Amino acid sequence: MSRLKAALEDFGQMIFFAFEALAWAFRPPFRPELVLIQMAFIGAGSVFIVGVTGTFTGMVLALQGNYAMKQFAAEGYVGGTVAISLARELAPVLTALMVTGRAGSAISTELGTMRVTEQIDAMESMAVSPIQYLVVPRVVAALFMFPALTMLFNGLGYLGAYGMGVYVAGIPVGPFIEHTRGFLVPDDILHGLVKAVVFGLVVAIITTWRGFAATGGARGVGEGTTRAVVASSIGVLVVDYAITLIAVGT
Amino acid sequence: MIEVNDLWKSFGENHVLKGITLTVPRGQTYVVLGGSGSGKTVLMKHVIGLFKPDRGSVKVDGVEISSLTGKALTDARHLFGMVFQGAALFDSMTVFDNVAFPIREKRRGAKLDEVRQKVVEKLKVVDLGEEVLDRFPSELSGGMRKRVGLARALVSDPQVVLYDEPTTGLDPITTDYVDSMILAAKQKLGVTSIVISHDIASAFRVADRLAVLYDGHLAAEGTPEEVRANPDPYVQHFLSMWFAKQ
Repeated sequence: MSRLKAALEDFGQMIFFAFEALAWAFRPPFRPELVLIQMAFIGAGSVFIVGVTGTFTGMVLALQGNYAMKQFAAEGYVGGTVAISLARELAPVLTALMVTGRAGSAISTELGTMRVTEQIDAMESMAVSPIQYLVVPRVVAALFMFPALTMLFNGLGYLGAYGMGVYVAGIPVGPFIEHTRGFLVPDDILHGLVKAVVFGLVVAIITTWRGFAATGGARGVGEGTTRAVVASSIGVLVVDYAITLIAVGT
Repeated sequence: MIEVNDLWKSFGENHVLKGITLTVPRGQTYVVLGGSGSGKTVLMKHVIGLFKPDRGSVKVDGVEISSLTGKALTDARHLFGMVFQGAALFDSMTVFDNVAFPIREKRRGAKLDEVRQKVVEKLKVVDLGEEVLDRFPSELSGGMRKRVGLARALVSDPQVVLYDEPTTGLDPITTDYVDSMILAAKQKLGVTSIVISHDIASAFRVADRLAVLYDGHLAAEGTPEEVRANPDPYVQHFLSMWFAKQ
């Protein structure tokens, strides 16, 4: 019972922290240079891992799709089904999980180390809000970079599926492309991008909060990072379900 | 002048401060002595507004720091510079960027030459030359980090400098050096200083006034001579740890 109470208190503090970050985001001074640094770290730094994941996911989807569709002699539909699966679900979710593992863990560790070595207190003592200086740029960068990386995942995933489907599985190019055009509509892409923005917010808030809440020494920072990655991953999956439920219904 | 009046603070069941009252006259160095876990750092963090008291108040030049929030508190913090126990330098920044940080944040758009001149000037106060400007904190010794921490605390010309355990973990020669820096900052810049320490020798070297904190109370308070003559058994026991060796 006391653990549940502590978890609820922690969640409440995190929500309060998120609102504080929101309030600081609209107050001067604005620091675009810090946002750009975080965009480079979260976005450009994740291009390789997201690209590889996207390409292989597309390739596997094409092979699995081909295997299933062949039962009904409907291999031509593989391109369209892969494109929809990527756009609506796999690209935003897998991108969020990969970025959580790469950048989210680093954010939590960096801020946790700053907390336990009093660097955050030092910043506050110099009349600088640590939330405005450290949290806001990371949240803003995540809001832009998660959708951008999701689009990268979409593109490379589809290319991977095309290569595997057309050149390895032997699906004719015409039906592959035509059914993609027929199935995939702008709303599918938008659905995935909305998810990506919300995932970016969830991951950025959870990982920065866990860094700020770190206590003790190296062990505390390590525990904080583990909790950040686990909570972010679960958060992404739960929010994904909620958005899908709202958008698609039962 | 800093006035701490009937300050109480608890963390859960842990009652850390139990009615602390003290006054730090302008331009003087006030040392708060006490053992580990006696609440010294908690007291200091109240002075700069990092903690809110459960009861009581902290006033700096008549402004009640403990009741300020938001922008008013942020503005009030420009009065202070703080030197942290482990220096708390930003480890992703060079010495120059660390020391320049308060200036750049206070006056965004300040010219690089002007900032550099100020940084070099304050590094000189702590006896460091321009050769350290491009180094990262991980490339400095413990003593040098403390000196950079002090330069950073002084760079925005604060009225009050707070030192959290400035000599902890330093060898005797560096300790003596840090003491000289604290005295130099007072004499050259006229700042009011509060030093939190458990280093008795250092405390008696730099203090104009002293307090001994024990179990959330001030067990003794006064000039170094008055505190040394205080008959309180804890104070006598605490001070004997060093004076008995002399």
